[in-house]
Amino acid sequence: MKAGLLLRNVKKELEVFLQQLLNGLSSGGVYALMAVGFGLIYNVLKFSNFSHGGVMLIGCYTAYFAFKIFHSSLFLTLLFGAISGGFCAVIFEKLAIAPLRKRNAPKVYFFVNSINGGLLAEYLIVATVGVFFHTFPDFLGTANINIRQISFSKLNLTMFTISLITLFGLMWYLYKTKSGRAIRAVACDINTASLMGVDVNRVISLTFFVSGLLGGLSGVFLGISYTIYPQLGKMIVKGWMASVIGGLGSLLGPVVGGILLGVLETFLTAYIGSSFTPILEFIILLMFLLIRPQGIAGIIVEEKV
Amino acid sequence: MKKLKVIIILMTVIFLTFGLFSYSWGAGEEEILVGNIQDMSAGTAIWGQNDTNGILLAAEEINALGGILGKKIRVITYDTKGDPTEAINAYNRLVDLDKVVAVLGPPTSNVGIPLAPIAERKKVPVIGDFMDERATTHSGGVWNFMFLTEPSCSEQAEIAASYALKELKLSKFAVIYNKANSYSVNMAIPFMAYVIKHGGEILITETYLFGDTEFGAQCTKIKNANPEAVFVPGYVQDNALIAKQLRGIGVDVPIIGNNSWYVPLIELAGPAANNTYFPNNMATDIPRFQEFMKRYEKRFGMEALIHALMGYDNMNILTEAIKKAGKLDPIAIKDAIEQTDHAGVMGRIKFNPQTHRPDRMPLIMLKIENEEFVTLGEYLPPLD
Amino acid sequence: MSFYQGVIIIVVINVIAVIGNFLLTGMTGLLSFGQASFMALGAYISGLLAVKFNIPFPLAILLAIIASVFVGFIIALPVVKLRRDYFALTTFAFGEFLKAVLNLSVTITGGATGLAGIPYKVNIWIVLISLIIVILLVRNFRNSKFGKECLAIRDDELAARSCGIDSSRKKMTVFLFSVAITSFAGCLYGFYTCYIDPSMFGWTKSSELVIMVFFGGLNSLTGVIIGTTFLTLSLEILRFTGAWRMFIYVLIMIILIDFRPQGVFANWELEWTTFEKLLQVPLSIIKKEK
Repeated sequence: MKAGLLLRNVKKELEVFLQQLLNGLSSGGVYALMAVGFGLIYNVLKFSNFSHGGVMLIGCYTAYFAFKIFHSSLFLTLLFGAISGGFCAVIFEKLAIAPLRKRNAPKVYFFVNSINGGLLAEYLIVATVGVFFHTFPDFLGTANINIRQISFSKLNLTMFTISLITLFGLMWYLYKTKSGRAIRAVACDINTASLMGVDVNRVISLTFFVSGLLGGLSGVFLGISYTIYPQLGKMIVKGWMASVIGGLGSLLGPVVGGILLGVLETFLTAYIGSSFTPILEFIILLMFLLIRPQGIAGIIVEEKV
Repeated sequence: MKKLKVIIILMTVIFLTFGLFSYSWGAGEEEILVGNIQDMSAGTAIWGQNDTNGILLAAEEINALGGILGKKIRVITYDTKGDPTEAINAYNRLVDLDKVVAVLGPPTSNVGIPLAPIAERKKVPVIGDFMDERATTHSGGVWNFMFLTEPSCSEQAEIAASYALKELKLSKFAVIYNKANSYSVNMAIPFMAYVIKHGGEILITETYLFGDTEFGAQCTKIKNANPEAVFVPGYVQDNALIAKQLRGIGVDVPIIGNNSWYVPLIELAGPAANNTYFPNNMATDIPRFQEFMKRYEKRFGMEALIHALMGYDNMNILTEAIKKAGKLDPIAIKDAIEQTDHAGVMGRIKFNPQTHRPDRMPLIMLKIENEEFVTLGEYLPPLD
Repeated sequence: MSFYQGVIIIVVINVIAVIGNFLLTGMTGLLSFGQASFMALGAYISGLLAVKFNIPFPLAILLAIIASVFVGFIIALPVVKLRRDYFALTTFAFGEFLKAVLNLSVTITGGATGLAGIPYKVNIWIVLISLIIVILLVRNFRNSKFGKECLAIRDDELAARSCGIDSSRKKMTVFLFSVAITSFAGCLYGFYTCYIDPSMFGWTKSSELVIMVFFGGLNSLTGVIIGTTFLTLSLEILRFTGAWRMFIYVLIMIILIDFRPQGVFANWELEWTTFEKLLQVPLSIIKKEK
């Protein structure tokens, strides 16, 4: 008899565990998408681009307005958000990055101006659209798929799939197309690339556009899962953390980092409570950085003499 | 060096031009200046904008009738971004530079509390909706120049708790609240205390922090604890998310909320909002509210939310006080405010002189059914 | 205490906090995203001592600074060897960690509901005198041999180490010094607003402090002071722009940084020599007269 009870308890614990794992993967997927867009700029220009949050925000809001005006389907809305995100990123590049590049500013200033860029987007929304919250309608209905006691939300599944497809698309682009190769060349060594005849300025704008596409997409996802509000951009911090944990030197790194972060956060919240989570996150992060500072998938960038 | 000089000159020019423009030229002969401190651009900006609109509506109505003491009211609004330092600067600016006769304050306590000792020093009264009791009283007594015009956090929580226990006959609760937000904390704690005092049980408490958007972990644990109801006292966007995620995971029991379950919650949460009971400061099917909402909608083209009512009532209370005082002296006005017995849109507002909070204002219990608000009735804070 | 005094007090407190940040980043190149949390430590510890134990104002501040430095030492120990990006991330995580601790410790600190009732002790003279002391300390520190060695580390750590400079130890010392200054700013802040809660010290505030350092100029103490003053004051002055205030504020910052990416003041310092040169002008006129 006792064995039966024990088995049932274990089964229940397992179900709870799996449920939490799925919850974690769902938020992890969102973090991963954010982190990849973020990591792309890091690889090419070697700075943490905090304006990615602003790009997400603008992408989300424009998609929302597109939806309101045209009543577009889910895919069209996502496309709209991604493209406007791309353009927004390029505008930001022209406004706050290109002038600094022209003057050979130290990398830190790119970073500082990117924070400002993110803030600019937030305040623009506040001044124009206003501060009221909005939501996207439930594109796929709120019903969850329930297998035994575990529920997946259809929306999360769809977003996860779209993210995966987008990531594969990105990899194909970077490795199989000429412009993608140009981006990788600039990422490798900006000076040599220009010596090889690559138009560095154009490539950089292109990189921002691509990262903006990803950012706009993440923004719409965030808007769909949660709410549309001006402080949406602040989620980029999670993307930053995910990138560093996963390793900034590659494309896979941010993905791994994002998923890991999502799962870790969910489990910490589930088993020790949300208030303790930042505490443990800090300790884990610290241990991580001491033991494997290049991140999980990263490469140590040796300091050149 | 030359470039530097250019920049310095540029900075000084920007400075001076703007500085010149920003100087408020003081009250005209025919004007009464009233200050308004609100969050207009950060996380609680919806409240601030609504509050301001309510104040402006009241001011316009009063001015249309000739103003007060023969003068027109002019409202000066400053944005605090929800930051106490900005609020302190704003208050000082209103009192020292603009020379307002009184200040209408924000509905957030993290700004209200620091204003209290400053108002005490500068002696210009503040009428607001900062529900934390420390904004109106301290260990040695009352803050003489601060006035709260709605039930406090604990009163609201107790109304909700007593309704749940007595009317809905529920006794086993789960609670999920925002541990980083004093509004949420100050409701969760009295709710739990009341429930326990009256024989109920709190099965599980979960917390979250500002900016959290994934509540899967907490919802799963709540589901497993099997409560009869879940108390969710957060800000509107968090409430909507929690409702969606709770329902999504299969928790169908009633949700008990706070006054942040009103508009735009149904728009944000959709059908997940159904089966929720919460205390609110207004209801659309009670005549005195309908009347107000019509005027508000006509003037601003938007639906009035609870904070608009607060602003409206506060401005009217101030007007009555100024009339009673007969002069534009802030201290005399403060004394007159203390004597207030006002039939506001929110209800009868009469201050307890020891606390400067209203004595037993009612709240209206609402239910969300079929994605609509249903009025259940007016309830006073329980005496037990 | 008039409105202008109030504004000046806030400006000066901000400047002191930014100087703390400036010291760290300017002298070691390390970027700290958790400075606001040291302000929080200073404010909370001194505030708690004053409110719960009635410890007099100056003593409370002193104890708070010592405690903050101790905490800074503990976190910096493992971290100071890390690269700049990681240091930034760690200090950020520490900031969130501290906020979580503060929110949790409801019984001691009031948690999210904040600590109220801190006595009002700060006036414009205290603040200005503190500023002058801090400026003198920092200036002398930077001009000392120790300071110059730090600059060497900042510019090229590998080269400096090969010259025999112990970079980790120096970075640690500078970090602790900057923690002391920032937490001092925090104490002043607490005794001015008389109410503190964890949400006032989040990473947005830390990033504001970082931005102000870079705006003023990484190598210029005067630049940082003037820059921060300009930014804090413009915030107040721009009030008339209503809903667009913050947008315009950030836009101005972006344009000025674009225009002058070494910080507005780059390497320029207001030194006694400038005053001497200014004095030369009338002196030479007088001499010519003779």
